[in-house]
Amino acid sequence: MKEAIKVENLDYSYPDGTTALEDISLTIYEGEKVVIVGPNGAGKTTFFLHLNGTIKNPGGDVTVFGRSITSMKLKERIHEVGVVFQDPDDQLFMPTVFDDVSFGPINMGLDEDDVKRRVIKALSKVGLEGFEEKVPHNLSYGQKKRVALASVLSMEPKVLVLDEPTANLDPKSRVDFIDLINHLNENDGITTIIAMHDVNAIPELANRVYVLNRNIVAEGSPRDIFSDWELLNKNNLEAPDVFKLFKVLNCFGYPSDNLPLCFNEAIQVLTSSIEGKEGHIHLHLHEHTHKEINDVINSYNHHRNNGYK
Amino acid sequence: MEYPEIDAFASLDSFIHRLDPRAKIVSFTVLIFSFAFVNDIKIALLILMFSALVLVSSRIPLTFAVKRIRLVFFFLFPLLIIMPVTVDGNEFVSISGISLSIEGLLYSSLIVIRAMAAVTLALIMLATTRFDVTMKALYALGVPGILVQMLMFTYRYIFVISDEFSRMWKAMECKGFRLKANYYGLSILGNTLGMLIIKSYDRTSRVYQSMLSKGYGGRPVTMIQFKMSAKDYVLSICMTLIAIFVHTYQLVLL
Repeated sequence: MKEAIKVENLDYSYPDGTTALEDISLTIYEGEKVVIVGPNGAGKTTFFLHLNGTIKNPGGDVTVFGRSITSMKLKERIHEVGVVFQDPDDQLFMPTVFDDVSFGPINMGLDEDDVKRRVIKALSKVGLEGFEEKVPHNLSYGQKKRVALASVLSMEPKVLVLDEPTANLDPKSRVDFIDLINHLNENDGITTIIAMHDVNAIPELANRVYVLNRNIVAEGSPRDIFSDWELLNKNNLEAPDVFKLFKVLNCFGYPSDNLPLCFNEAIQVLTSSIEGKEGHIHLHLHEHTHKEINDVINSYNHHRNNGYK
Repeated sequence: MEYPEIDAFASLDSFIHRLDPRAKIVSFTVLIFSFAFVNDIKIALLILMFSALVLVSSRIPLTFAVKRIRLVFFFLFPLLIIMPVTVDGNEFVSISGISLSIEGLLYSSLIVIRAMAAVTLALIMLATTRFDVTMKALYALGVPGILVQMLMFTYRYIFVISDEFSRMWKAMECKGFRLKANYYGLSILGNTLGMLIIKSYDRTSRVYQSMLSKGYGGRPVTMIQFKMSAKDYVLSICMTLIAIFVHTYQLVLL
């Protein structure tokens, strides 16, 4: 697999001296879906700004497709890595949608026809055809979020970095946005790197998860990460509800170790395990079941147990 | 949220709407300056009628226009009262010992009428073009990029900041705050405004980072596609001639 992004020993402190990132090293391969999780203030946004060279930092090296980001010209950098910010009002700074979506392509030095073609293509990718002449303050939050994505897609980046893409969206917009990101990853071959707190969406958006809390605390598949409740506890994280529910089912004697992480996966896992047991599974309640359930509750409801009483 | 948008009726269709934005800015500016220097009250009345005619033919709803022009009128109205009292001249009426002069009345009327005509034209110019197009036209006319960018950001973020302020205000009201003209009320209002400035300052750094992520290099980035047609030339020349005529009609008519 080709290395898309390689970060080595990255350190960063804010101008006031607070340490933001410490000795970060990670490698993301082409076509991967990576989610970065971590508590508030863990440095995720700061880390993302390093990936396309917006923050220039001598204390560490970021390599994009084998080339150091600091050695690249501006036009090349924005073509390699596109960053979608959390607040679309930060990203949409031009008077109209067209101006915003064409901002990157114009800066890349493309000619007029190319720019227009890219704007139309990017807007149709996010499902907002014909929104060119609209002004951002008349759009809904979900629409702004999609325009912000289009304004990055128009640069046709190979790596797409998204900061909290599902935050503050209504359930329908949230699902649409998740599908859109997955579509971009699967059909257009864009490597996606996402920061989010929405644990129930992580299984759908990640092959691999990094836990970031100033430094890289852990790395692994979503299942590995969510199985390690001590890790979750230490970093203010949580496991998806479906996963927790199946942990409880395990206590009742549910036979599978291959625990599902999301709703769709749960249906598959349940169906196949019931089929495997000739049409029905056996759940039971013994003396020791209560203790096991308590253990699960204690380990996965950690925030509630040592929180406010 | 309802925004007071100057360009709410920019999507209508009239010959003023169709005029090339650059030609519109130039010819309306020439007209405004010319009208502002008219010295004869009869001519002033004529140009006010002319402005009203242009307003009607631009199809902008009159209520929309009057609402805005009214503000300027309220601002100028005191002149109509003060100047007849303060300017010396022939007395035309005396109210309880205070004499009002004709000269003062004429002079103040002239100022008010000229201003109303100029404001009406400015309103038509801004209301018949989408504001972003106006800004692009200014850039195309050679207004320095930094000014155009400041205008663009103002236009974009005035709505964001006003939303932010109204959210803060609602939050304060939810906690029982009512603005009264006392020390407490004013100090809270001052704190709120200060908070708003700090929030905006934080936002500017995020916006700047996002601009850099899209390859910003310091110049306004926008595609300008205006084309002047024969009609645009004819119309702007006519308007410029009118602007010249109101000052030189004596020479022409004699």
